[in-house]
Formats: sequence, C-alpha cells, structure tokens
Amino acid sequence: MNWSLFFGELVSGLTLGSIYALIALGYTMVYGILKLLNFAHGDVYMVGAFIGFFVLQWLGGALSPVVNGWIAVAIMFAVAMVGCGALGVGIERFAYRPLRNAPRIAPLISALGVSIFLQNSALLLWGPQFRSYDTFDLVGVKSYSIGNNFFISNIQILTISVSIGLTIVLALVVSRTRTGKAMRATSFDRDAAEMMGISIDRVISFTFFLGSALAAAGGVMFGLVFGQIFSLMGFTAGLKGFTAAVVGGIGSIPGAVLGGFLIGLTEAFATGYLPGGSVYANLYVFALLIVMFLIRPTGLLGSPVIQKV
Amino acid sequence: MSSLGGGPPLDEGDLPAVTPEPVDIPDRSRVGTDEWVSQAEARRTAQTGLSGVVARAWERLPAPARLVILIGPFAIFPFITNEGNLYRYGLITVIYALLALGLNVVVGFAGLLDLGYVAFFGFGAYLYGIMASGHSGHHLQAEIAIPIVVVATALLGLLLGLTSWRLLGDYLAIVTLFFLQAFVIFVNNANGGLNDFSYPFVGKVDLTGGANGLDQIDPFNLFGYHITTTKGYYFFTLISLTLLMIMLYFVNGSRTGRAWRALREDPLAAEVMSVPVNRLKLLAFMFGAATAGFSGTIFGAVQSGAFPGDYDVGLLITIYAIVILGGLGSIGGVVIGALVVNGAPELLRSSANARFLFYGVLLVALFVAMRPWYKPVVVFLGTIAFGFAVHGIASAVWSRGTEGHIQGGGRLGRALEHWVLLPNNPGSIAGWAYFALIVAALVLTMVRGWWRVVVLIPTLYLASFVWENKLVEQVSGATRLILLGTLLVVIMNVRPSGIFGTSRVEIV
Amino acid sequence: MAKLLELRDVSKAFGGLQVIDHLNLHVDEGEIVSVIGPNGAGKTTVFNLITGIYHVDAGEIVFEGNKVSGLPPHVITNRGIARTFQTLRLFLNMTVLENVMAAEYGHTKATVVEAMLQLPRSRREEKRIRQLAEEKLAFFGQRLAGYRHDQPAYSLSYANRRRLEIARAMATNARLLLLDEPAAGMNPHETHEITELIGKLREDAGYSILVIEHDMHVVEGISDRVVALDHGVKIAEGLFDEVATHPLVIEAYLGVRAESEAV
Repeated sequence: MNWSLFFGELVSGLTLGSIYALIALGYTMVYGILKLLNFAHGDVYMVGAFIGFFVLQWLGGALSPVVNGWIAVAIMFAVAMVGCGALGVGIERFAYRPLRNAPRIAPLISALGVSIFLQNSALLLWGPQFRSYDTFDLVGVKSYSIGNNFFISNIQILTISVSIGLTIVLALVVSRTRTGKAMRATSFDRDAAEMMGISIDRVISFTFFLGSALAAAGGVMFGLVFGQIFSLMGFTAGLKGFTAAVVGGIGSIPGAVLGGFLIGLTEAFATGYLPGGSVYANLYVFALLIVMFLIRPTGLLGSPVIQKV
Repeated sequence: MSSLGGGPPLDEGDLPAVTPEPVDIPDRSRVGTDEWVSQAEARRTAQTGLSGVVARAWERLPAPARLVILIGPFAIFPFITNEGNLYRYGLITVIYALLALGLNVVVGFAGLLDLGYVAFFGFGAYLYGIMASGHSGHHLQAEIAIPIVVVATALLGLLLGLTSWRLLGDYLAIVTLFFLQAFVIFVNNANGGLNDFSYPFVGKVDLTGGANGLDQIDPFNLFGYHITTTKGYYFFTLISLTLLMIMLYFVNGSRTGRAWRALREDPLAAEVMSVPVNRLKLLAFMFGAATAGFSGTIFGAVQSGAFPGDYDVGLLITIYAIVILGGLGSIGGVVIGALVVNGAPELLRSSANARFLFYGVLLVALFVAMRPWYKPVVVFLGTIAFGFAVHGIASAVWSRGTEGHIQGGGRLGRALEHWVLLPNNPGSIAGWAYFALIVAALVLTMVRGWWRVVVLIPTLYLASFVWENKLVEQVSGATRLILLGTLLVVIMNVRPSGIFGTSRVEIV
Repeated sequence: MAKLLELRDVSKAFGGLQVIDHLNLHVDEGEIVSVIGPNGAGKTTVFNLITGIYHVDAGEIVFEGNKVSGLPPHVITNRGIARTFQTLRLFLNMTVLENVMAAEYGHTKATVVEAMLQLPRSRREEKRIRQLAEEKLAFFGQRLAGYRHDQPAYSLSYANRRRLEIARAMATNARLLLLDEPAAGMNPHETHEITELIGKLREDAGYSILVIEHDMHVVEGISDRVVALDHGVKIAEGLFDEVATHPLVIEAYLGVRAESEAV
C-alpha cells in the first residue's frame, strides 16, 4: 500500500474539495431561493481569481509587494470578495430579476448568456494566456509532514481552513441573523415571505452577494494553490461546483460542503489510482453524478420534495 | 344570463327562483360577455405597429405558402452568389437550421433542457467517419452509412434520455452538459494512444484520431452518385431540411405532438391525462439525437473530417440562440434564427462589415425600443453632438487621445475617426471603459423617462469608444460571443418566447 | 350493483404525519358518491392515491376487480379512472380543443412515424380524435361551443376552465370520474349548472362519479351516498341527511361546544 500516494491524493482532494465547496455554496443558495441554475456562477469565480491577480500586481507584484505577503493575500481576498459580490448583485439585477415571472427556461438562457459574456469579456480584456500568482515568491510554500508519508503545505492548510471558516460564518449568518431567517423564509415560500413584509429583492440580492463573494474566495484560493489562472477556468469549475451542490443535496449548506469534498476527493483519487487518470478524472466525477441521481436524486443531505397537488 | 335581469331578487343562500337560461340556446355575442371577454386576452397581447401587422398577415397564410416563403430564398441563393459565400452563408446556415430543428423538438416541443445536444452532432460525424473515411479504411456507401448513424445516434439519445427518467428539468441540464464534456474528452483521447482505453479483444484502437481529428472522411456516395460540390451538399441539406420541417409540422398536429406539448405545459397533469410522460421524454430525446446525428454526417462529409474542437459548448450556445431567437416550438422560426445567428457573425469577420452591423443594430434598437419617435432622434443627434464636443476638447487638451487610427478602414470608419476618441495606445483605458460601459448599461436600466435619454447619450458614445478600441480586435472570436451572450440576455428580457414564439402563460 | 372502485384498508403517511388511516371506501357502478370533510382531512390525498400520484403505504386500491395501487398514473387512467384538479391544471397555452384531444393519447395508437408521413391510419385516427373531443365539449352546450375550440385555454373564464377540465377528463374514455371541488369559486347560478351537469354525466353519459365538495347544496343535490373524512379517517357514511346530522361530522366542522360557553 503506497501510503505516500494515498495521503498525497487525500490532501489534494481535500484542498480541491474546499474550493469546490465554496463554489457549490453559491449555487445551492441561489437555487434554494430562486430555483435557478446560475450558469454564470463559475465565471464569477474566474473573475474573482483575476481580481485577486490584479490586486497583487497593484500591490507591487509577487516579488516585491508593498506590504507583507500574507497581508497582501488578505487584501486580495477582501477586494475580490467584495468586487465579485457586487458583480453578482449586478448580474441578478440585470439578467435575472426581470425574469422572475417568465417561463422557467428564460432565466436559464439568460444565465447562459451572462456566462458567455463574462468568459469572453475576460478573454477579450485579459487575453487567453495564463496568469501566475507566484505563490512561492509571495508567501513561500512550506511543507509540513507527519511521519514519512503525510505531507501538507501551508497553502493547502490555508485553503481548507479558510473554506471551512467561511462556511461556518455563512451557516451562522443563515441561522442566527434576521437576514438569514428572511433568506430561509424566501426559499420556502416566496410569496408568503413577501406578504410577511420581507423585501424579496433585498434578500435575493444579499444571497447573490454572499454566493459570489464565496466563489471569489474560491478563485483566489485556486490561484494560490495552483499558481495559474486563465479566463476559461470558470466553466469546468462551475460544472463541478454544481455537481457538488447536487450531490450534497441542493438547498443544503452542509450538503454543498460535503458534496464539494466528495467531488474533490473523487477527482484526486481518480487521477492517482484509476487508468487514464488525470485526463479522465472529469469523466469519473460525471459517473459519480449519474450514480447519485440514480440512487438518491435529492442528494446526500437534501430533503425529498413533496409535491402538493 | 337571465338571472342578472328578470326574475325575483335572490335571497342569500337560495337557489335562483327563476330557472336559469337553458344551456343550449345559441349564444349571441354581447358586449361584456362571452366572446368579447374571451378575446380580451388576445387583444391585450397582440403586437402593435408594423410587427403586429406582419405577424398577423403571417399567421393568416396557409402553411404551404409559409414554407415556400421561408425556403424559396434559400433555393435561389446558390444561383446568385459565389462558392465561398454559398458555403459560409448558405450551407452552414442550413446545417445549423437542421440541428436547431432537432433541438427545437427536445426543448421547444417537449420542454426538456438538453445541454449535451451537440455531442450527438459530433457522434454522427465521427461515426460516419468511422464507416466511410480514408482514416478508418472503411468506405461504406452513404445510403447504408447514414441510416446506421441515425439509428445509432437515436439509441445513444435513448441511453442519455434514460437518465432523465425521474429528473427535474434542471438536473437533466447538468447531466447532459456533463455528457458533452465526456464526449469531448473521449474523442480527444480515443486514438489508440497513451490515454486511450484498452478494449476487450481488440486492445487499443484508433477510433477518432484524437486531438487531430478523424480526417479523410469520404464524400457522400449515394447509390453511386458522389456529392462533391458545395452546391450538391447545399441542396441535399436544404431538401432534408424542408422535408423535416414538413414532417414536424404534421407531428405537431398529431397525438404525439399534443402529448409533447402537454408534457411541456404540466407533466403531472399530462401523466394523469393518460400521457406516458417518461416514454415521451425519451422519444423526444431520441428524435433530437437522430436529427443531430444526421446533420453530423453531412457536416463530416462537407468538412472531410471530424475534429473535436467543433463540437463544444460554443456551438451549443449558437444552436440554442437559434432556437430561442426563432421562438421555442416554432418550426419556421428556426430558419430565421439560423439566418440571423449564422449570417450576422459571418458579417462580423471583416472589421468594416462588423462596424456597419454594430452601429446599424444600435440604431435600429434605438428606434424600435424608444417611443415616441422624437426620443430616439434626440438621442441620435445628441450623441453625435456630444461626440464631436468630446473629440474637440480631447484634441485640444489630451493629444494622445486622438492619435490612434481606426481599425479596418472603410468609409464609415474614416468618418468616425473625427468623432470617436482613439488613443494611440488604448491598453488599459479600453479595459476601464469596458467596465464603465457595463456600469452605464446597468444604470440605464434603473432610470426612467427623460433621464434615460440623458444617460443614453454618453453611454452610446462610450459604447462606440469601446467598440473601436477594443471589440474590433477580436471580431471573429471573443467579440462575437460577447455579442451573442448579450443578445441572449436581452432577448430573454424583452421577448422570452422568441421572435416567432407566441407569448406563453406559465403556472409558476 | 358491482363495486367499481374499492379502497381496502388504505393508509398513507408523509414523514410523521398519518394522512390517511386504514380507509375503506367504495363506489358502485352508476353511483355518485361525495366525499366531505374539513380542510386537511385528506380528501385530495385520496384522489392522488387512486390516480397513482402517490403510492399507498398499506392496503390496496381495486378498480373493476383489478388492483391498480402501485401502477403509474397514465396506466391507471387508461384503466378507466380520470380526474379534475382542485386548483385547475389545464394546458393553458394549448387551445380548448387541443386540451381535450391531448387526453385521448391513452386510447389512440398512431405513432410518430405514421404522423410524420401522414399515413392513412394516422389521418383517420386524427379525425376520430377530433370528433370525440368535439362530442365531449358539446356536452357543455354553448359554453364551450364551436368558436371557443381554437382559443387558448388561458383565455377562458374560470367557470369555463372548470368545465374544460371535466371535458378533458371525459376524453380519456374513463368510466369513473373523480371531481375535485367542481363547484369551487362559483356563484349560485354556476353552482346550479354544475349540479345539473354532474347529474347529466351520470344519466346521459353513464359515468360513475366520486366528488369532493364543500358546498353542501351541491352535495345534497347529487349524492347517492356521502362519505365524511376527518384527519384521514372515515367518520361517517350514508345518505346525505344521515351524514349531515352525524355528531362526529358536526364536531369535525364546528368543533365541540366548550362547557364554559354556556354563560
């Protein structure tokens, strides 16, 4: 038993999974409230990664930042999250709000349109070339080990812990604050919530803000962990993020996180162990999705939908 | 309704003392009742103005006449244009129309969101290539190969459709999208090389030529007749398209068509009204897949090859745009949609043409969207004046701002050189301007009335700036898709049912 | 009289809530049976169980001697049971005639290919489908008459929509109709029409009918037998007068008089 490989893929999978979890959270929240598949979410993630990159350049670049490396990272996170939060609110305002009472397919197509728009705007403005975060130069990559076979780097620790931390914050917001309560009410019954005096527009905008901010955090983390970002990275990541949300149970916050880790681990272990590994990793995730749909369509932690006829 | 007129007054809780009017007296049309009331909805949703007149005239035409009007120009086209244009504007358009027609059955008739549709298109091309190409060594004749491909693709559609058995529409979208990804990965790697699977009995086989594609696909060999010219393929496809349109028209008015539409309206009610919903979903999937597979064989033969890069999400978006634009469920609309979605971007290939298109569309949109007529005129003149003013100030104050040159030339371009700000090294200015334009567009949606006119003027100027300094760079690439994406969002906002679709009422 | 429909000891629970509890119900051929009870009593759930939208947890449902519980809804409809919905579920964007024609799918046979090629069998069947639909619509007299046939269903008035739903159910060639609150939202005049209509459905067209209704005028006017439900349990059964005065039924609707109210 090659423990070194096992632990390597485990850590890899958890790291990847925490990024997917952040993306999945945004999907699950928006779907829970609007029953909308926000195709553009993955591209918001991509924009977040780029904002982080440009903030880094603005701060002097990875080699000679104006402030301490870690502080730079914190600033990157903050700016990216706020920026993408605003982007998410804008997208909702422009592309989804007018379609709240339109046929189901209209917001889906609109989302598709926004996704293409974002992807290609990034391509147009920033070009197809990869951009590098130069994490090594920025904060240094230190590796910690337990025994001979278990290695984990500081960046990976950061990623996993930030992800869990943000999820906890989100869970607290949703369960403890008034706005969180309003969000839950809206996702149960929009009209009733409105009649109880909840401003649906504000709740939805807030949901988009949160979801997009989380995705941006994921984007910055991707840049830190993997070093390279590019304008088409949103597509597959978004797809996997949505798979994670569905596998974990759409509408469930812990489900999204669980799903994210599951997808990340599947991808990592498939790459490491199965034939044709890295190339076909996506296919294995796909297979997992199909299996999940067949066994338990509502996802691991989702609740079965009872249709009132 | 006699109970409202004569007869003794009703006590609360009493049944009417007067026998109500027997139900089989012929109804007279009375103002405020029945027919007039029932047509209120139609009056309310009828289109006004010129588009309304055209729409109503169109609906009054009998179906065969409509078919002739739609297909006629296509039939004449090869005789009035050259080979290159026939290929780009004609053949590709017709192939896309064929593809879109199949998708229209899945999405427009049955209401299923299939985001993996182009995988069937690719499958058709590859399978045909496996059966008839120099690459694979087999050379089946078209009349044998094509039916095999159609059946095989239909079966593939059946398999994929089985995953929809109990899925809600959104989940189906993701599964099918993943299917497309899987397909692309597969064809990129199934070349018998390093990453390929090792099949039982035969080991590694070069099925698809990998990233280089499956080349040397045979031209169609139909009963001994070889189709080798663009014109030949064009007419083959056009005839197929016409036949399919006719057949779909019949299906629409048949029990299957009604069942599909009932499924789209309300799957639960349909199921309880004797419609076997799951079976019909599968049927729709198979139908769409078969159409896509058929189109794939044509595309493969025309290109003499099947290449992985052709069957991606970009094409998927294009076909969806065609179906949406033409109107979900509208057979004729698909043809118009294909013309617009394929024709316009082709026009975009040259900067000069693209420029005409861009400003032309802006102008048309302005005059169509803003009523009454004097508002767009004000905006138009205002923008021109604004532009000259800004340009004048800039050339005095900021020399760099006007030193650049318009890309692509052309008469319009040269005229614009004196109007638009053209910094000689746009760089990040253009990027910020792009961002500002998006913000401006958002602001536009939030203001009303004359404020809109005021905000619109600098916005339009900004749009022109962004176009000339950034978007023209990539007209055939990113820009085209940016415009497509914007188009989709705008159409959904303005007319969710598409150009030819009828406005629908939805149970939320 | 043969028992057309029989619910034997049927139970259904959602999560922890027992919605239907060991229910025994039957409809004889040619009978009109009304189901009454306060809101939440489980009446529509009974319909959903009969039509196969929900599956029974225990017990069975037998129609014409054959077990139908557990079959998919469209098969049950083909066996001869059709329903209307409490909240109206028409195919709004299809025309009046198409709504009715769509319901004939189960007893027609022409395939897609036959339709595409307009083969004679397909054309003949289309004619028959249209004829049957027009017949069913004619049952409602001028209300859903000729000029209405090609109008979209969403343009119909509320009462006409209810009638259309009934016509649509009739087009399935069912023998048992389940009408879920057919008189809901209707004024006295329309209510009277519906009452007469239900009678006509049995007399002229030979349907057996199971009706959920709140309007006691209607229940009184049409029922051969009345069944009262409360909290998923049958609390009374019999002729209208018996059930209407049954103490448990009164208690279910009005509650028990509290001791202290005597003051």
